[in-house]
Amino acid sequence: MPRYLTRRLGQAVLVVAGVVGLTFAVMRLVPGDPAVAFAGPRATEAELAAARARFGLDDPLWTQLWNYARDLARGDWGVSLHTKQPVAQDLALAFPASLELVGAAMIVAVAAGVPLGVLAARFKAGLPDFSVRLTSMLAVSLPVFWLALVVQTVFAGNLGWFPVAGEYDNSLDVTSPLRVYTNITIVDALITGNWPIFTSTLWHLVLPALVVAAYPAGVIAQMTRAALIEESGQDHARLARALGFGRIAVLTRFALRPAAGPVLSLIALVFAYAIVNGFLVEAVFNWPGVGRYAADAIRSLDTPAIAGVTLLVALLYVAANLAVDLLQGLVDPRVRGR
Amino acid sequence: MKDEHDAGTAEAGKTPDPITVSGPGGLVVPAGVVLRRTPLRALAGAARGDLLATAGAVLLAAIVLAALLAPWIAPYPEDGGTATHPAQALLSPGAGHWFGTDQVGRDILSRILFGARTSLFIAVAVLALAAAVGVTLGVVAGYAGGWVRDVIMRVTDVFLAFPALLLSLALAVVLQPSVATVVVAIAVTWWPWYARLTAAVAQSVSARGYVDAARCLGVPAPVIVFRHVLPNSVTPVTVQLSLDAGGVILTAAALSYLGLGAHEPTAEWGLMVQQGQSLFTTDWWVVTFPGLAILVTAFSFNVLGEGLRAALDPRGRSR
Amino acid sequence: MRRQRRLLAIGTAAALALVAACGGGQVRGSGDRSPGAAPSGAAGGGAVDTTFVYAPNLDVVTDWDPASSYSNEIIAMQNIYESLTKFNIQTQKVEPRLATAWTASGDAKKWTFTLRENVKFHTGKPLDAEAAKAAIERTKEEGAGAAYIWDSVKSIKAKDAKTLEFKLKYPAPLDLLASADFAAYIYDTTAAGSGDLKKWFAEGKDAGSGPYTVDTWQKGKEVELSLKAFDGYWGGWQGTKYKRVEFRVTPELTTAAQLVQRGEVGFAPRLNPQLFAQAEAQGAQTEQAASFQNLLALFNTQHGPLKDVRLRKAVQKAIDYDGLVAALKGAGAAASGLVPQGLFGHVPGRAQKQDLAGAEALLKEAGHGPGGKPLKLTMTYAQGDADQQLLATLLSSTLSKLNVTLEAKPLQWSTQWDQAKSGDTAKRQDIFVMYWYPDYADAYSWFVNVFRSSAKPSFNLTYLKDDKFDEAVDKLTELAAVDKDAALKSYADLQTRLIDELAVVAVPYVVNYQRVLAQGVSGYVDNPAYPNVVFVYDLTPGA
Repeated sequence: MPRYLTRRLGQAVLVVAGVVGLTFAVMRLVPGDPAVAFAGPRATEAELAAARARFGLDDPLWTQLWNYARDLARGDWGVSLHTKQPVAQDLALAFPASLELVGAAMIVAVAAGVPLGVLAARFKAGLPDFSVRLTSMLAVSLPVFWLALVVQTVFAGNLGWFPVAGEYDNSLDVTSPLRVYTNITIVDALITGNWPIFTSTLWHLVLPALVVAAYPAGVIAQMTRAALIEESGQDHARLARALGFGRIAVLTRFALRPAAGPVLSLIALVFAYAIVNGFLVEAVFNWPGVGRYAADAIRSLDTPAIAGVTLLVALLYVAANLAVDLLQGLVDPRVRGR
Repeated sequence: MKDEHDAGTAEAGKTPDPITVSGPGGLVVPAGVVLRRTPLRALAGAARGDLLATAGAVLLAAIVLAALLAPWIAPYPEDGGTATHPAQALLSPGAGHWFGTDQVGRDILSRILFGARTSLFIAVAVLALAAAVGVTLGVVAGYAGGWVRDVIMRVTDVFLAFPALLLSLALAVVLQPSVATVVVAIAVTWWPWYARLTAAVAQSVSARGYVDAARCLGVPAPVIVFRHVLPNSVTPVTVQLSLDAGGVILTAAALSYLGLGAHEPTAEWGLMVQQGQSLFTTDWWVVTFPGLAILVTAFSFNVLGEGLRAALDPRGRSR
Repeated sequence: MRRQRRLLAIGTAAALALVAACGGGQVRGSGDRSPGAAPSGAAGGGAVDTTFVYAPNLDVVTDWDPASSYSNEIIAMQNIYESLTKFNIQTQKVEPRLATAWTASGDAKKWTFTLRENVKFHTGKPLDAEAAKAAIERTKEEGAGAAYIWDSVKSIKAKDAKTLEFKLKYPAPLDLLASADFAAYIYDTTAAGSGDLKKWFAEGKDAGSGPYTVDTWQKGKEVELSLKAFDGYWGGWQGTKYKRVEFRVTPELTTAAQLVQRGEVGFAPRLNPQLFAQAEAQGAQTEQAASFQNLLALFNTQHGPLKDVRLRKAVQKAIDYDGLVAALKGAGAAASGLVPQGLFGHVPGRAQKQDLAGAEALLKEAGHGPGGKPLKLTMTYAQGDADQQLLATLLSSTLSKLNVTLEAKPLQWSTQWDQAKSGDTAKRQDIFVMYWYPDYADAYSWFVNVFRSSAKPSFNLTYLKDDKFDEAVDKLTELAAVDKDAALKSYADLQTRLIDELAVVAVPYVVNYQRVLAQGVSGYVDNPAYPNVVFVYDLTPGA
């Protein structure tokens, strides 16, 4: 295990280095003067010179890359042109909101996807199977920005069942101010017992979370189904069936456990995708997360902010992958061996 | 750890599922499964048993046909291009305009038909580019092995650390928005999948006896690659391509929706949704039909790809 | 196993309770908002502070300095700062604001303003004649934005605490000028003490005397800016009034419409014609009015392909003016020249028409057009503005027929503007689309701010340098005071020069305001002299 751990960690470090390098390369592709890209087009000569000095734009590329990596490691992710705040600080404020949205969505996705997968596997090739496959295929084919618009218009606009946009009713900031510990509103509201903000946030979460959940729910249903069908073909499951356990019991008790590995790792991967899919949803629902931040950054050609968002999500993705692999290595010795 | 899976999984027998989530349309391909069945035969097989895959194939054929024939079958072909009729803005769906008209009076059905051309062009261009780069590097990696393989695989690791939409988004911001930008931006994020897939196939093939024998007999490396490695890669790559097409279409639409892709007056579905967004509650058809077009196209690619994958899976585990 | 879990749960709960009990953590938002603080001067009593929410589609603040502020932040600034006078569009009269009365000498070269007594700045300092003099002098010195309104002023004298005397270089309607929407603000110039006042403002602080003062400001947040009532406001807080104002940036028009409908937002300045009609049908309060605001498409005369006057004329002719007005369905009217109807300087009968053949001929002459060299133009416009988007769609379609690719980019206002002012001329756009409105009831600002040359671009985003034009503009105010007919003729000539001869601008349409207000908001009157501004103090919240 220690050998596997070191090898896997070493690999992750390499990937992180590559991610930083690639982000650097993409941002240096900016046509024109990179100093302008970082100091903003209205920058004065002095500001441009400062930007040049700060990013060492006259240094050789290797030095620049090194400095860039060093600044990142120190938590200096540059200053946003749009908000005029440090990008790292902006992201620290926006990311918890994204986490909240995608976390809620993943709960929905797992709660819907796994049972649907079990159902489809139980009635393999039957009508339930067909319906589940059809639904899950539709779910992964939906353009998420469009789904967000449709859901918002129908359920918030026309029917008025849910709030239209935002994270919670802003006026509550005055009537029952929220004390923040984690910056994840719903968690903070829960631990401080701030019920007005808690219920308001929950209420605002419903629609965007359902929209973000569509894609992962579809993938999870498909994967659960596939993994279960494969596992139930294995000897131990057949034995259990021969011993008189019911079909559902076999699936859930004997097949679901071994199938949990691949499904779990898939969930972690889908999580990272859901964050990016969430970007488009956040823009529609005005959710104050990384996605809305990115959408604003696009509209204001805010290069440092875009670089920050790209880097953050990529790092998150690497971390999710690493966690899954380590977890699997821990659970399944076969993974370590190979 | 992913690359460990690549190594000759076909021989490995029981493997923990080599999950290769690919792109937003990301489905699963059994990486490294070497098969002799051709996609065409598989398609026939799929059609026999799988209603969904058949439906996908039929829908897709219709969409391709519609795209090819758009100038002839569109009720107002000029509306797919540069014509505008502001006086007829926002007519609701009816006899004259089945899908209604948009904010500058263009027939939406016609624009959707022309939009199919844009979307399919992007999908084909992206996949061709990604497959060309990916397969080449993959063959090199798999055949050469050693440090060459390691380097190429580490590079794919880095690219795979970016969700497709994210990296294309960053690229599209720094480049000028256009259809070509979208193609390049998405292809850059997609090639590693093909590199990995092909590398796995190449490695398992070049480890076989007959390839060893050929090598001993002094058959030059390029010949071995062309004779033995590439043909074996065709099937898994084709399946992966059909699975990915849906994801590419969704990503491209998302980029255009964000204003980073096609621009007016190009007919593009994501752009149509974005332009009509503020009219959704008052003139529903402006947004609804382009969105449905994206959904149906991505759906038909996805079910077709999934059907192909299932039909080609030797263990038939998901059927 | 089971028991362990339960223990763990109890432990966690206890830990959470502890965390909650210990306090610590930060309260969201930065302003002082202890919920217990009683609303001062609460005649209504008992009621919680009512908040008025304004939903702009763009970022609000680009410049906090009342001397140089000259952009979208007007919607906040007019609630924070006050000018000496205020222009009433209904009566076409200048009304008292910080000044209660004023007199002019017979030749209109000496003006005396009497200031309101017991007025305090938000900084606590009293607003007297010395303070007002200092503010106007600083604004004049800064010379940015609309500071030109004080150009006629030779000297200012604080005769006593409440009497302000202006001596002018030439006759000018100073009472009207002092009601301008920008640069007329009176503010505390000593607010920063010995520090740099400009820097002090840039942090989001204010030194006004108006009914509201800045509470929180976080650029990029949904609620970018919130204002709170200034307890010491001279008007007092009797009766029911809004005690807070929030500016909630809502880029999506549909969202804005739904928020107004549900009463979460009090005011949406601009939806689209369809949403406006829907809101009206669903019983929201709506206001529709002709405006002094028109859309301008400014052509880059210094850099890029539009340096060629033939290409500028071609683009001018390619715009589908009638189609645009038709597609706007009442939200816009055809423009005649640069000056909207109702303002001094307006010239009737100069509406432009699309002329495709003419555009094609001009393009051909320059070597472009169908069969010629492809031409690529960039255009920037405001993010989230459905009307400007219509122009982009129509124009790009038409130009595409003529073998011209138009890359139209919607941007945040500050980005669009910054890019246009970029020191790197290659970064500037070919076509800049923006709204313009007068600073006071006069057409002058179109000429002096948008087209007169200046060393550093501000709003003169055609980058035009035309000495003859500049010379004529410099004479305009004086001319208007002396010889009305000559001034009118000069305005007409200048428009011919800009539109027909130099072809530096196209005027696609004049805006018709379409405002939507939530039910229950009463007392709103649209005042196009202060475009898009809601004077929140004048409103009464509903039940």
